[in-house]
Amino acid sequence: MTPVPSPRFRISRHRRLAWLGSALACGLSLLGLALCWLNPAIHAPLRPGLDFTGGTQVQVERDCAPCKAVSATEIRQGLSSLNLPSVEGERAPNLSSASVQVLDGGRSLLLRLPALGADQSTALIDDLAARFGPLIKSGTSVNTIGPTLGSRLLQGSLLSLLVSFVGISVYISFRYSGIFAVLALLCLAHDILITCGLFAWLGLLQGIEVDSLFAVSLITIAGYSVNDTVVVYDRIREQRRTLGELPLIDQVDVAVDATLTRSLYTSFTTLLPLVALIFFGGSTLFWFAVALTLGIAVGSWSSIGLAPTLLPVFSKR
Amino acid sequence: MGRQQGWFALILALTIASAALLANYGLQLGLDLRGGSQLTLQVMPAGAITRVDTEQLEAVKEVLERRINGLGVAESTLQAVGNDQLVLQLPGEQDPSQAARVLGSTALLDFRAQKPGTEEEMRGLLGLKRQAESVLRAKRPPSPSDAPTAPPPPETPPLSSEDLSKALTSLGIQVPAGSREVDQIELLLRETNRRILGLYGPPLITGKDLTSAGRQQQATGTGWEVTLGFNREGGEKFASLTQSIAGTGRVLGIVLDGRSISEASVGEQFKVAGITGGSASITGNFSPEEARDLEVQLRGGSLPLPVKIVEVRTVGPSLGAENIRSSLVAGLSGLVLVAVFMVVVYRLPGIVAVVALSLYALFNLAIYALIPVTLTLPGIAGFILSVGIAVDANVLIFERIKEELRGGNTLIRSIDTGFSLAFSSIFDGHATGLISCAALFFLGTGLVKGFAVTLAIGLLLSLFTALTCTRTLLRLLMSYPALRRPTYFLPARQLPPAKPAAAQAGPA
Repeated sequence: MTPVPSPRFRISRHRRLAWLGSALACGLSLLGLALCWLNPAIHAPLRPGLDFTGGTQVQVERDCAPCKAVSATEIRQGLSSLNLPSVEGERAPNLSSASVQVLDGGRSLLLRLPALGADQSTALIDDLAARFGPLIKSGTSVNTIGPTLGSRLLQGSLLSLLVSFVGISVYISFRYSGIFAVLALLCLAHDILITCGLFAWLGLLQGIEVDSLFAVSLITIAGYSVNDTVVVYDRIREQRRTLGELPLIDQVDVAVDATLTRSLYTSFTTLLPLVALIFFGGSTLFWFAVALTLGIAVGSWSSIGLAPTLLPVFSKR
Repeated sequence: MGRQQGWFALILALTIASAALLANYGLQLGLDLRGGSQLTLQVMPAGAITRVDTEQLEAVKEVLERRINGLGVAESTLQAVGNDQLVLQLPGEQDPSQAARVLGSTALLDFRAQKPGTEEEMRGLLGLKRQAESVLRAKRPPSPSDAPTAPPPPETPPLSSEDLSKALTSLGIQVPAGSREVDQIELLLRETNRRILGLYGPPLITGKDLTSAGRQQQATGTGWEVTLGFNREGGEKFASLTQSIAGTGRVLGIVLDGRSISEASVGEQFKVAGITGGSASITGNFSPEEARDLEVQLRGGSLPLPVKIVEVRTVGPSLGAENIRSSLVAGLSGLVLVAVFMVVVYRLPGIVAVVALSLYALFNLAIYALIPVTLTLPGIAGFILSVGIAVDANVLIFERIKEELRGGNTLIRSIDTGFSLAFSSIFDGHATGLISCAALFFLGTGLVKGFAVTLAIGLLLSLFTALTCTRTLLRLLMSYPALRRPTYFLPARQLPPAKPAAAQAGPA
């Protein structure tokens, strides 16, 4: 077997710095979430998207090159005077609260409205076609999500996240020990918190909303973070068997040093397709890829700098 | 070596089978990739039923299926989701409004007779109703679908704003301050409808007595009418109903989902036997679309429970095509970079890993075609992520092999030890990933499910390819002495200088 190793890189020498960095990032994230919550326009830790709030989102693509510029106010003015057919005797919603975005230099229009019935959204698109047309028929997309469905989606996502937490910690306590499970969950919470924090700030400053894909990315990050941490743990466990006489803090140093190359390479190779998605992927997956990229970067940070260095602190006998 | 060759034959067979499978079946693309509409319908409890169970959901689904068939949409699928939801997918359908109209209403049809002594009140209400309807029709923004069959100029006098407010106060309606004229007219219409219903007796014939439904153009005017055929019992009931009101000036009301859609008076000549023959028609001055919708609904039967459309998603095929192309380009370019990285860093095993990972991708796609998995954007994301984890497995193994070589082990022993030492961490990583997948699959909703499925397939396959394909290929190459060189695994300067001979010695 390997001779008693003298690690080139001793993580425990830098552990205070690592903790400080993580604490700062967590603090900033919590601040972002709190500010989001206090913001009267959002009133939630993250700015919820259509998937969670419910409503109708209409996107149309104009058939023109170059397109005559339209302003969001111009579109909104037309909306408030629009007569929509009523559905099942319920009065048509007022559209003056709609949010309107003009994308791609006026080529496509994105409207966020209260929930509309099928006839109502058809009437709306006909009106847009009359005023800003012609529209490309195949470029139109209408998404309507009922308010109850939104909250159900949120509950489902949170529940699945929670259940996967529990499942993972049970697995780790079974394969390793309780302390390992607690620390793995701590790192996982750290990774998710920082990812959420970034999106809280993005929501505050850029109006970026979180959708169900964001929920998917959080769960993915959770899985990845644990996978990353487990490899380091596996090495520590192995070290304990072969280098049992060394103090735990040195065992951790040896394990981190031995797995460092692998951790960095793996993060790098996973990040490659994700970064490619950010730069070349469709707009639909852009923020999903951003969330995953940050989450995986933070995930490998916590599995190198956090999970192993906290182990000697927590397992003082 | 015999065992290795067995594995190699298996891998080869799987490769050929996968390629054949893919060539024959192809991949199913989700609506977000190829365009189309998706409607989610929520079945609502009503009356004595407070919770919807699977049996009732099945009954609703049956009726909806008949209606969808009536619409004639190709390739549509209707699936139950959870206890009380149905998801309808209409690939290629860009305008789900008709489907939404036809599916969303209960289509509970019944025939009622007007109560005696209410003739005067009914006449006034019907006049108001016709006026309000014609005003609304004229005001509605003309949509291209009903432009050619716009109703003829109404014979009823137009409703001036004074008339409107007079009518509203006469019905005792409080108008909210600052409401628009259209809203006021709708308010008026609702109130007249409510009062007309109040003048009817109980329902005498229901949709259950129908055997057929059709539509035809009205003999007079340009509107359409819906024709109905009754069963024997219904025909008899219809005859006695019409007989009871013939020549009295009272009307026969046709009520659909609590709305009086047609009011017909019955002529004196039916006083003796009523209208016999077991058929009737509803002349509600329908547009062709309205007539078709109603026909489809009546044919399919009424829903045992009301449904509500809670979600409509439509993606244009151009949006879908753009998304799939850019995501594919991004994914592939990322993977090419990963392959380059592997070869540069790990040399010979790197090449082996690239081959193994290509097989991995092929197996993945073959399984998608086999199950079949409908590929959606989150599904592709799940696939890309599982590739990341599959690469990780290879990295773990090769790092271990390098470590063993640096420690002065022989090449073949280093490879074996590398695999066996890396196994526990690979297994734990995959197991935790699969735990997450299970949680996502069983508790998550549509999008999340698609992601969980592709990730789970990816993880299971990655366990197989990393431990079997990579290992078999590597050992197979090691059977050629020319390739048995540690410098094909790592740079010479990292090898321990003391024991070069041991590294060359090969297996005992």
